[in-house]
Amino acid sequence: MLLLDYQNVLIQSVLTERFSGAPPVSIDQTVSDFDGVIFHISTPDVKTKIVISIQIRCYKDLVRYGAEEVLNREYGPYVIPPEPGYDFSIQVDLENLPESKEDREELVKKISLLKRNAMAGPFEQAYQEHYHLKQEAAKFTSEEAPQGVREGGEVKAIHYREEEAIYVKASHDRVTVIFSTVFREETDRVFGKVFIQEFVDARRRAIQNAPQVLFRNDPPLELQDVPGVKNTGTGDIGYVTFVLFPRHLTPQRMPDVISHIQTFRDYFHYHIKASKAYIHTRMRRRTADFLQGKQLLFIAYIVKLAANQCAVLRRARPENEEKERKTASGRTFKVGS
Amino acid sequence: MSQSLRPYLQAVRSSLTAALCLSNFASQTAERHNVPEVEARTSPEVLLTPLTIARNENERVLIEPSINSIRISIKIKQADEIEHILVHKFTRFLTQRAESFFILRRKPIKGYDISFLITNFHTEEMLKNKLVDFIIEFMEEVDKEISEMKLFLNARARFVAESFLTPFD
Repeated sequence: MLLLDYQNVLIQSVLTERFSGAPPVSIDQTVSDFDGVIFHISTPDVKTKIVISIQIRCYKDLVRYGAEEVLNREYGPYVIPPEPGYDFSIQVDLENLPESKEDREELVKKISLLKRNAMAGPFEQAYQEHYHLKQEAAKFTSEEAPQGVREGGEVKAIHYREEEAIYVKASHDRVTVIFSTVFREETDRVFGKVFIQEFVDARRRAIQNAPQVLFRNDPPLELQDVPGVKNTGTGDIGYVTFVLFPRHLTPQRMPDVISHIQTFRDYFHYHIKASKAYIHTRMRRRTADFLQGKQLLFIAYIVKLAANQCAVLRRARPENEEKERKTASGRTFKVGS
Repeated sequence: MSQSLRPYLQAVRSSLTAALCLSNFASQTAERHNVPEVEARTSPEVLLTPLTIARNENERVLIEPSINSIRISIKIKQADEIEHILVHKFTRFLTQRAESFFILRRKPIKGYDISFLITNFHTEEMLKNKLVDFIIEFMEEVDKEISEMKLFLNARARFVAESFLTPFD
């Protein structure tokens, strides 16, 4: 459970069950995913026709950067006009499923990756742009390249959460992905700083081929004239930059890299929360240990009390037993013997 | 235990043992009251000179003795933001359970992280050397716990970062 899954597990399990040949039933289920994404699985007309709809906050942004091409490519025959209130819908006919078991599993997998595929549009576009710019740049030496080639493509902004966004920018030798992330609490901010420092250092230490990671609290230079990016100066917004190098940008690795980088924000915050929870339970246990120590103190107190009681008892005991007495003339005698 | 910590704790221990010399003393200003003089501060003649033992500028202990009570305030080392947060959380945890710790004060003195108040009733009930032991052990444990948690956090962050970046390799 260290890395997050790319697909939505609930959709996967619902569809696997439906596709297994079980008798069709009517479904009406709302499924939520990260980043406020909502899915709706339903059978509006007949039990055999399952409609899966998705609602994404940033669908307008995604369409602008070519999400529809990706979605049509992935779900071509299944696409239907979107359900009211949702952004994109597909419909699967249970009577018309692929024959073999593997193909069905493939289809389930594909549908549960709906969110990933919707978000992949801008990334794929950036990849294409990068290939194009690379070809262009190959014609020139670095000094005399025309303005457009040297600077790279425009910045694609995906406002996938209320205050957070992903910015993707392609250039001839790299693709830059910038996450802006908000820390709600002071603790989160400090923990986030520790975590991100390790992301930055990981490349230097262990994984030389990983993308370069940069972190800063003010908007990076790439985002200087992007609308909606402002420097609050308070440091509660962080900008995490991933620089993808040509070795990550080969067409073979594209799907994996895109899937993986999308999970960054959720992964990052998930682990901050998990560490907080761990430290919380640990402190709880430690406090209980101290209380235990205090109980030892108390036992010592009881022992002392008992000792005191003994002393009191001893004092209360009659003292005149076996005591020698003298007469006036100096002769001694014993009392009570 | 590091070499410089030992004399520090030893100094705290001896000063505490010396300061924990309390007797029952009724209030001079309010009839039939018996309050910790170090908190009430109504009669200056029963307050003794406060004593600070400092290991460095961010790590010190303040001992305020009086005739029937003694207040011990501890400032725990906070080298950076993480330690600051950890210390804050930890002391909060403890102070919220103050009533079961008997001698723990609900609020620390200004400028310190955690305070204890020991009155003559506590020393009458509990063994004095055990009380001192408890405070010293507390100081040791808190330091150890904070640095362990910090190490843990760094180790976890490293592990998390590396496992995220490995698939790119």
